[in-house]
Amino acid sequence: MSRTPVFAVVGHPNKGKSSVVATLSQNDAIAIALEPGTTRARQAYPLSVDGQILYTLVDTPGFQRPRRVLQWLQAHSVSASDHPDTVRAFVQQHRDDNRFVDECELLAPIVEGAGIIYVVDGSVPYSTEHEAEMTILRWTGRPSLALINSIGPDDHSQVWQAALGQFFQVVRRFDAVRAPFDQHLSLLRAFGQLEPDWEQPLASATEYLSAQRAQRRHQSAALIARALTDLMAYQETRTLTRDQAEQTRDSVLADQLRERWYRHQRTREQRLRLDIEHLYQHQRIQRQEAELQWHSEHDLFSEDSRKTWAVSRRYLATAGFGAGAVGGAGLDALTLGSSLGTGALIGGVVGAAGSYLYGDRLLPPVLTIGPLRDGLKTARFGPVQDSQFGYVVLGRAVDHWWHISHRNHAGRDLLDLAPADHHWLDNLDKRHRQAIQQAFDRCRKQRPLDDRHRDKLTAAVAAAMAAYEDWRLNRA
Amino acid sequence: MSHTALSLLLDFDDQVQRDRDQTPAFLHRRDRRFALDCQQRGIRPDPAQWLAQMHRLSGPGQSRGAGHRALRRWSRVTAGLVATGAALGIVTMLGLLFYDGGQRINVTVILGFVLAHLLLALATTIQAAVGWQPWRWLVRRLGEQPSSAVQARLQPLLMARAAHAGGCAFATLGLVTLLAMVVVQDLAFGWSTTLDTAAGSYHRLVQGIAAPWAGLWPAAAPSLELVEATRFFRAAAGAPAIDPARWGQWWPFVTMLWLCWVLIPRALLLAFSQWLLHQRARHLLARHPDWQALMYRMETPTLDTGNQHNDAHHQPDTATRTELAGLPDTDIVLCWAGAGEPEPPQSLVGPQALVHRAGGRASLDQDEQVLAQIAGALAAARQPSVLVLTRSWEPPTGELQDFLEQAHRAWPAGTAATLVPLSASPGQPPASHLLAPWLRFSERLPAGFVRVALPPTEPRPDYHRGGVPT
Repeated sequence: MSRTPVFAVVGHPNKGKSSVVATLSQNDAIAIALEPGTTRARQAYPLSVDGQILYTLVDTPGFQRPRRVLQWLQAHSVSASDHPDTVRAFVQQHRDDNRFVDECELLAPIVEGAGIIYVVDGSVPYSTEHEAEMTILRWTGRPSLALINSIGPDDHSQVWQAALGQFFQVVRRFDAVRAPFDQHLSLLRAFGQLEPDWEQPLASATEYLSAQRAQRRHQSAALIARALTDLMAYQETRTLTRDQAEQTRDSVLADQLRERWYRHQRTREQRLRLDIEHLYQHQRIQRQEAELQWHSEHDLFSEDSRKTWAVSRRYLATAGFGAGAVGGAGLDALTLGSSLGTGALIGGVVGAAGSYLYGDRLLPPVLTIGPLRDGLKTARFGPVQDSQFGYVVLGRAVDHWWHISHRNHAGRDLLDLAPADHHWLDNLDKRHRQAIQQAFDRCRKQRPLDDRHRDKLTAAVAAAMAAYEDWRLNRA
Repeated sequence: MSHTALSLLLDFDDQVQRDRDQTPAFLHRRDRRFALDCQQRGIRPDPAQWLAQMHRLSGPGQSRGAGHRALRRWSRVTAGLVATGAALGIVTMLGLLFYDGGQRINVTVILGFVLAHLLLALATTIQAAVGWQPWRWLVRRLGEQPSSAVQARLQPLLMARAAHAGGCAFATLGLVTLLAMVVVQDLAFGWSTTLDTAAGSYHRLVQGIAAPWAGLWPAAAPSLELVEATRFFRAAAGAPAIDPARWGQWWPFVTMLWLCWVLIPRALLLAFSQWLLHQRARHLLARHPDWQALMYRMETPTLDTGNQHNDAHHQPDTATRTELAGLPDTDIVLCWAGAGEPEPPQSLVGPQALVHRAGGRASLDQDEQVLAQIAGALAAARQPSVLVLTRSWEPPTGELQDFLEQAHRAWPAGTAATLVPLSASPGQPPASHLLAPWLRFSERLPAGFVRVALPPTEPRPDYHRGGVPT
């Protein structure tokens, strides 16, 4: 018998056992189908820390012939004290019997010491048909917990709760597709309550999972910050020989460069999407990405995206003031403070005015076609001069991150990134606004960001993520 | 060992740049594994060991990284500046000591040159220390842009070090040239200035400059007599009547001046820039954001949530070949596993209907009795047919399959069983995704025995609203 806790997730066919396992093991590659009996063999999903297993979830097939099993058990039992042994005997005797392959698969881990997680669908009416299988599980004598998972829209969980309370130590509700992360942890803690020895490993597991989630959030901010600077600073360059320059009209060259610039930006944004998804162990959303509405109707460069994700002129003016003031403060430093902060003030006013006046115009990236020199001519497109572009990218990235971080691994539906209808960045505090604007300005001017700037931008993006989360919470 | 700290920083920076495209999960596993190995061996992991591990695992033949290339590039720059400095040192000294016998070599010019050189050397160090790069445009034009932020931060210091190395070569070769000239030529030094300066003042200036070596080599500190005697004016006709040997007595001072105020300061500044580079490299490494991230990965246990298993592609075949059938005209109704409780829908059950219940809470013996009763009723029927009501949301199980297979054997040949999956909402047809498993289930049973039909939404015509048969 394994010393680490093992939990067998059992139940009637097609009641969401695999969904529960997929969500708790953060595995979106577990087959979840509407077809009953999709799971034919048990599959273990251990949670390990540095290779040391803390607990194991076992996904099992559903009961197929519970009444026949129960009849066999009753026929081979004398008193309640022999029930666990009788179940073990059943498994041993029918291991190779095709009729009971599902029952043997699901009972085997239990007779080997696993705890029982019995899953029912709370969206359908209670059925006495389940009583045979619940009785079998009770015969095993193992600690048990019933989980009411709601697959459909209706709610019959009250009746289920009353009925399940007759058979199981603990009854919990858990929506495998929609339950927030806190509920995952709460459920795991409940697993730990089933037996005293299991409490500590499950408590450790929840601590590690919480730390992992916090770290992922930080890593997401860093990934978004990096993508932002890449996208804002990107410049498409093409060098032409004298012959090529003579054969190519400037307008054609500009079109080619613009097209390549747009393609690169889209690809980079897609890479960010995948990075965030993989960070949260969502490996399969990628396949559905072509169908995202986001990319058809709400494209990165569409006016629609701009209306949705761009920030207001007032926002830009305040952020611009801060960023300008930082530059102006350099003047004060040079005069050892004798300018009494005039430099910062002037810089702030200039920054705010520039942002206010130009912030609402979708400026194209700068196109420069250099003169013919040494037989070569260089044309450059970018970096984008409109800081609103950065806010569009930021808004879309944070929205995507939020959906991914709140998406359970049992979810198989299309990731629908509906555009937000509010300028949530208005909730961001001034310091972080300025850090973002300053980073955008540096990229625009092709000045490299050092580690300090990057750290500040990452912190600002993390703050933007928190602001978006708050806004989502309050909106809901 | 500044080179070690510098190459360590550059190699580390290069390695983390290459890691940028790796997934965080992979990096965490890799680095945590390294930290655990170190823990087992009782050593504290540091960047050098981590890099050594990376290189060891990459095996022999790994191409040297950007850090190594940057160091080689700077070695070439330094070598170029040393060569240039050496050549300039010779040329400059020859220029300073140019003597055709008709004039004196003005010590004041040499003093001015040494002062300018000293100021330039100090300026080089200061601009490197504060990170100012007035020559950046030149580097840009040469296309020598730093490949990372770390290299950009180090560039002023590396440039200063190369410049000081060139300066040392300049000073050394200048000194050698001076000594050679002293040996092979009869040099006549003097001092001259347009300013109204008394010999005493000039002597005090010279004494001050010669203070570092005056005690060691008194001959290299000019006396007041020598200063008074060797002043010359260009407009003065002819040479003053002094011993010609006195003109040459300045050479020890000039030699020591060059040594102490050109060569030694340059060497000290070279050593300082080396030390500064070493300190900056250590500081940058300690503050490197990726080093902090690496430390975090090494200190934090890796968490595997059990997401390795992938059976997403093993989806069952959900193609359905069977079509829905119509409802047969029969009064034999079987409610399976609680379907139709408490009463079967009026749309399905006529007033003469025989309603049987099996499955669910019924025992297997009761199932067999029901099978026998239905078999008896079917024996008298012209077109034997049975309606089997089920709950559409409870998928077909092995028990129902066993029951129907047993029925196929027990009931008269030609009997048709029609499965009618009921909806949880009375009067509504079941959802299509709930119906499909029943259709596929019927395909697994003996051919032609079981069909699937939808429950009608209207009551049977032979039923009154009050339930009284017509």
